[in-house]
Amino acid sequence: MAEEAKFKCLRCGHEYTDTYTPGVPQERTCPKCTSNSVRRMKEK
Amino acid sequence: MVEDERRIGVFVCECGINISATVDCDEVTEYARTLPDVVFSIKNRYTCAEPGQEEIKRFIKEENLNRVVVASCTPRMHEPTFRQCCADAGLNPYLFEMANIREHCSWVHHDRKEATKKAKDTIKLAVARARKLESQEELTVPVTQAALVVGGGIAGMQASLDLADAGYQVYLVEKEPTIGGLMSYINKIFPTMD
Amino acid sequence: MMDVGRHPKIELLTYSEIENVTGYIGNFHVNVRKKARYVDEDACTACEKCAEVCPVVAFDEHQLGLASRKAIYIPFPQSVPASYLINMEDCLGTNPIACGKCLEVCDPKCIDYDEKDSIIELDVGVIIVATGMDVIDPTVLDEYHYTEFENVMTSWEFEILTGPGYVTGSELLRPTDRKVPKSIGFIQCVGSRDDKRGHPYCSNICCMNTVKDTLYLKEHYPDMECYVYYMDIRTFGKQYEDLYKRSKEMGVRYIRGIPGDVEEDPETKNVIVAVENTTTGKLEHHELDMLVLSVGVEPRVETADIQKILTLSKAPDGFLAESHYQLNPIDSPTGGIFLAGCCESPKDVKGSVTQASGAAARAERLLSQRRVKVEAITSEIDPDLCTSCGICVKVCPYKAIRIEKKKAPAEVIEAACKGCGTCAAECKFGAITMKHFTDDQILSMIDAMLEEKPEEKICTFACNWCSYAGADLAGLSRIQYPPNARIIRTMCSGRVDEKFIWYAFQKGAPVVLVSGCHFVDCHYIDANRWTQKRIEKIWDKLEQKGIRPERLQLEWCSAAEAKRWQSIMRAAENLRKTVSKQEIEETIRILSNGDKPKTKAKAEAKGKKKPKVTAASSE
Repeated sequence: MAEEAKFKCLRCGHEYTDTYTPGVPQERTCPKCTSNSVRRMKEK
Repeated sequence: MVEDERRIGVFVCECGINISATVDCDEVTEYARTLPDVVFSIKNRYTCAEPGQEEIKRFIKEENLNRVVVASCTPRMHEPTFRQCCADAGLNPYLFEMANIREHCSWVHHDRKEATKKAKDTIKLAVARARKLESQEELTVPVTQAALVVGGGIAGMQASLDLADAGYQVYLVEKEPTIGGLMSYINKIFPTMD
Repeated sequence: MMDVGRHPKIELLTYSEIENVTGYIGNFHVNVRKKARYVDEDACTACEKCAEVCPVVAFDEHQLGLASRKAIYIPFPQSVPASYLINMEDCLGTNPIACGKCLEVCDPKCIDYDEKDSIIELDVGVIIVATGMDVIDPTVLDEYHYTEFENVMTSWEFEILTGPGYVTGSELLRPTDRKVPKSIGFIQCVGSRDDKRGHPYCSNICCMNTVKDTLYLKEHYPDMECYVYYMDIRTFGKQYEDLYKRSKEMGVRYIRGIPGDVEEDPETKNVIVAVENTTTGKLEHHELDMLVLSVGVEPRVETADIQKILTLSKAPDGFLAESHYQLNPIDSPTGGIFLAGCCESPKDVKGSVTQASGAAARAERLLSQRRVKVEAITSEIDPDLCTSCGICVKVCPYKAIRIEKKKAPAEVIEAACKGCGTCAAECKFGAITMKHFTDDQILSMIDAMLEEKPEEKICTFACNWCSYAGADLAGLSRIQYPPNARIIRTMCSGRVDEKFIWYAFQKGAPVVLVSGCHFVDCHYIDANRWTQKRIEKIWDKLEQKGIRPERLQLEWCSAAEAKRWQSIMRAAENLRKTVSKQEIEETIRILSNGDKPKTKAKAEAKGKKKPKVTAASSE
């Protein structure tokens, strides 16, 4: 099932929340700069 | 193959003025000769044209080249051309390498100094790769003389008939109890309305 | 249809489904499940006696439930094969004591209640996929009170009502009073060209279908008032515009405007349409006897199964993806498999037939060669280094690697390997060599690139099909960008091994950029999913080591996105400028210390076994 997570764009630094499904890779695009270098930030 | 046996030839293409307008092809050709295992380098007006290809074939023989690097356009265009050219000269086509100094260099950078620098690097990378290239044999496999068509609608039926009329065995698999597909629901068909 | 049924070279397997396909170009092995019909299709004479005595009345699927059939039935009179079958869910029971009436009257004795499904195995050299499309189910969206108002129907139901097979004998009668309607309306684009409801794409065939329907109506019922509500009428095909003109000349009113909603007169059951005529800017009300929803089409649900069985790709709209949009629109990305008809995109009959003939020609080209050459860019497994861990089998998009027995080394089926190199990148034991794109070749390129002034260079990996091609297009379009990237071409981004990235950073690369196809475009089905997973892992490791993760960039760029390539190059250059010499030196120091990342594959091969999962943790 889809879960919510924080994502960070490694190009422009933009942070946002989006859904993801564990184990199912999904193409991610930064809503601000369109980069695909979008990293899911793990809860510390 | 032992290290000192590698003999690489580099062919730098001017592509008319497509490359030479922003890349100093003389300088690049000189530079190529300084790279490891490069024993020969030359500049051509159009490497892909008949005289250019003839030059590749000639120097493979005269200079005893066993690796060829062409610095010109994208491999997505002329790699098959030059591979064939090498094969014609008796060199395994997998011992050929391309350096893209047009699409990825002369066409996208105005600064002649920077473009020439990048072209040199691009050739350096290609030579580094060429040094490690090995001959490859292409595998050929037999083709079973039969076809499977999945779906018995109008497209599946047409494809089956074409192949069967050409003399091939066809297996037409249809999920429903009858062939016909969506078209069998249709009353009249445009534009002829029959 | 008859020609197909009696062609000596065509073996027709109806009521059958593909269960499994193994093999590769020229050599496919196929398992087909032939479902039990309970009637011998060769012996059946379609005499109809069985259906006469069958006491069961069921919905007739072929007439969309607008008519009935028996439990033993023939889909429609011209069915091929011309044979009855029993739907066991409708039948009173397989036990003849329960009913058995059909068995009694069948003269050729072709009914067998005990028949079982059978599995048929086929060996073929080529496969043509022609699985077609589906009509949008109007009940899901329930546009224009379709499920509520009886006189609102779909264009497909309209086909049945006017078709020759229907009970009314092709007389169009409206459902509520069984009278020929005096007025009728068609609403276009139901379920099409809408991002929110239905599908965003144009379904291609509905405009012409409606034009055709109005012509039919005007020929049979010249006095019937016909309205067509539309956004745009698309009549691009040969002679199509003529039909549209004819339809208008015959008095069909085309109104530019899609009705917001419709109402039903509770007494007459007429349908009242309110529509803004956008040509005149006026609101119009039309009271109609019948309303037809011109519904769009969509990929069949089963397309997903076929896609999986045959390792095909899907386009963003859900239809099957062709190898190249313009230059190779019939080949699928998998060698030896071709696409025909509406499984690839919505088409009319002519379009389907054209593509089918094209697919047959493409297939024949391969068949007639008798032997096919496979490019030598394939992977090779060293059985001495292989630990049979199975990761390569898992990541291969083409099922081209197999482990025959437990603990036996993995083997590459060379003809099935397409050369993406994902297996070589994922193998932890250095057992896999990707021919023509070896570790040694790529590491040597990194060495050459970063030998001098590494701080000025962006170590870029680009996949042959998309990002490299996108950069080519930037060149063709003369789009300028900073000159600092040095590109290493691989067939797929999936080839970009973790060790290449570490090696580049160790050699002083300020920025490493990995680029490939967008997910939908991946030329190796889904190999670039592994690229993404790998990069995500490396980002974490970089952070742990105290190296800025953003120095590793990941970008997808299609062959058409020259502008995007420019913006990727600019962003990478901006990033490069933020990386100081000190930072690079620090990175080199970190990576040279202690837990040194893998640089040379062979040194790593220690034949480590995967840790066994204990009973406790597997619970």
